This record gives sequence, C-alpha cells and structure tokens, in this order.
Amino acid sequence: YLVRKASLFISLLVLETSTTAEEHVSPSTTILRGTNRRNFVRVVESMAGARGILLKHLRVKVQAFPQNPKPNNGLFGLSFNAILRQFSEAVRGSFLDKSEVTDRVVNCVKNLQKVEPSKVTPNAHFQNDLGLDSLDTVEIVMALEEEFGFEIPDNEADKINSISLAVDFIASHPQAK
Amino acid sequence: MASTSVSKGQILSLYRSFLRTARQFRDYNIREYTKRRTVDGFRQNRGLTDPSSISAAFSEAKSQLDVAKRQAVVYSLYAPDIRSVMETDLKGKR
Repeated sequence: YLVRKASLFISLLVLETSTTAEEHVSPSTTILRGTNRRNFVRVVESMAGARGILLKHLRVKVQAFPQNPKPNNGLFGLSFNAILRQFSEAVRGSFLDKSEVTDRVVNCVKNLQKVEPSKVTPNAHFQNDLGLDSLDTVEIVMALEEEFGFEIPDNEADKINSISLAVDFIASHPQAK
Repeated sequence: MASTSVSKGQILSLYRSFLRTARQFRDYNIREYTKRRTVDGFRQNRGLTDPSSISAAFSEAKSQLDVAKRQAVVYSLYAPDIRSVMETDLKGKR
C-alpha cells in the first residue's frame, strides 16, 4: 500500500517535471503519461487526501508500537480509537445484580394499572398468570425500557413474555442502568 | 402492499413504534395523549377478524404514525423549557 502511494507520488513528480519542460513531448514521458493517465485522475482526486492518508497510516503504526513491536496483525491492526473503545467497554460492562433487577421489574409491573399487585411474583407469566394480552406485554416492555434506561430491540422484546425472562435479559445486558 | 393479511408481529411492532414516538415528545400532555390514543385505538380494533378490515385499520394506523413522527420533529424545534407539574415527583422535585 505504501509502495503504491510512493510510486504515485514519484509518478506525479515526474509528470510535474515533464510538463514544466519547454520542449515537446519526449518518448519517455509519453510512456509514463500512458500508464499514469489512469492513476493521474486518482492522484488528482486523492492529492489532498493522500498526504492525510499517509500520515494517518503512519500514525496508526506509531501508536501500535508501545503495545507490541510486532507488525500489524489481529488486534494491533486496529486503529487507536478501536483499541481505546475496547478498553473503555471492559470498564463499562458492569451488569446489574439479579435480585436488584428482580425487585425493580416487579415494582415496575405492579405499578401498571391493569395488573393486580398481589399476583405479581418473580415467576409470573404476563399472559398466563397476570391475564394480560400481547398489547399489554408490549407496554410492560416499554415501561421496563424506561425504567432501566436502554433500548430493547423488537426481536428481543417479542420474546419477553414473563418476569423471569425480563430479569434474565436485563441482567445480561451491559447497558442497563 | 405485498400481502393483504397483516401479521400479529407487524401490529405489535407498529404499536411499539407508536409508544417510542410518544416518548420523544417533551410536552407531557402530548406524550400522554399519544400513549392514551394508541392504547385506545389498538384496543378498539382488537376484535377484528376480517383480513381486509384489519389491513385497512393497519394502513390507517401507519399514516397516523407518520403524522406522529412528523409532529415529534416539529415539536422538538420549539420544546418547552418548563416541565409540567405532573412530572414532579412526590417530593416536589423534577
């Protein structure tokens, strides 16, 4: 990759020198022009970015050095941002305690108007035990989303049909607050 | 409109989209109205069995969802700073 970019630069320099020459087109430059006409457009387009790309590429390499002097492969081929993100996610990945989640879920379900508070147990099924229908289930999942402050995608939300399933899902989700 | 029959999953996801859109409103009254209206509207049509009437109700609900989404955007441009008194908790904090 670097070699190609370097060759493009060299070809660009050659082109520049050949165009500034006073005499007519010489055989050597015609050959160059022919092969590099394809690259010329690319070079012109990426002229501004080529330097940036080169620098960015160099920047990645330099950052990888403190980690490990080995060349780019696997983890160290990632950009600096990705490495930083991985470290911070490890810190942020704190799951909630299951009993705490159960308490919060049960309280949230009890606050719903349609639900009888006495029937709500940690093993209650929304439709079988609590006598709710699918629309109510969706409402409960939305209330849980608001309670724990994170978005539950639709395909996962369809599977949550009881309190125990909800607790399992939330306790295993790192973004639950 | 590929098929005339609307699946239960589609109806539930439409319901969920309504409730999510309702959450975006900063105004308490409009938010509560949107939630109430969707609950009432979906419950009213719960007993429909005829596929054509089900799909008619579904397409009407879809257009209403577009209305709600547009209004969510418009209202967010002029969002009120002051929160409604209903949003304070028992201790009087917001």
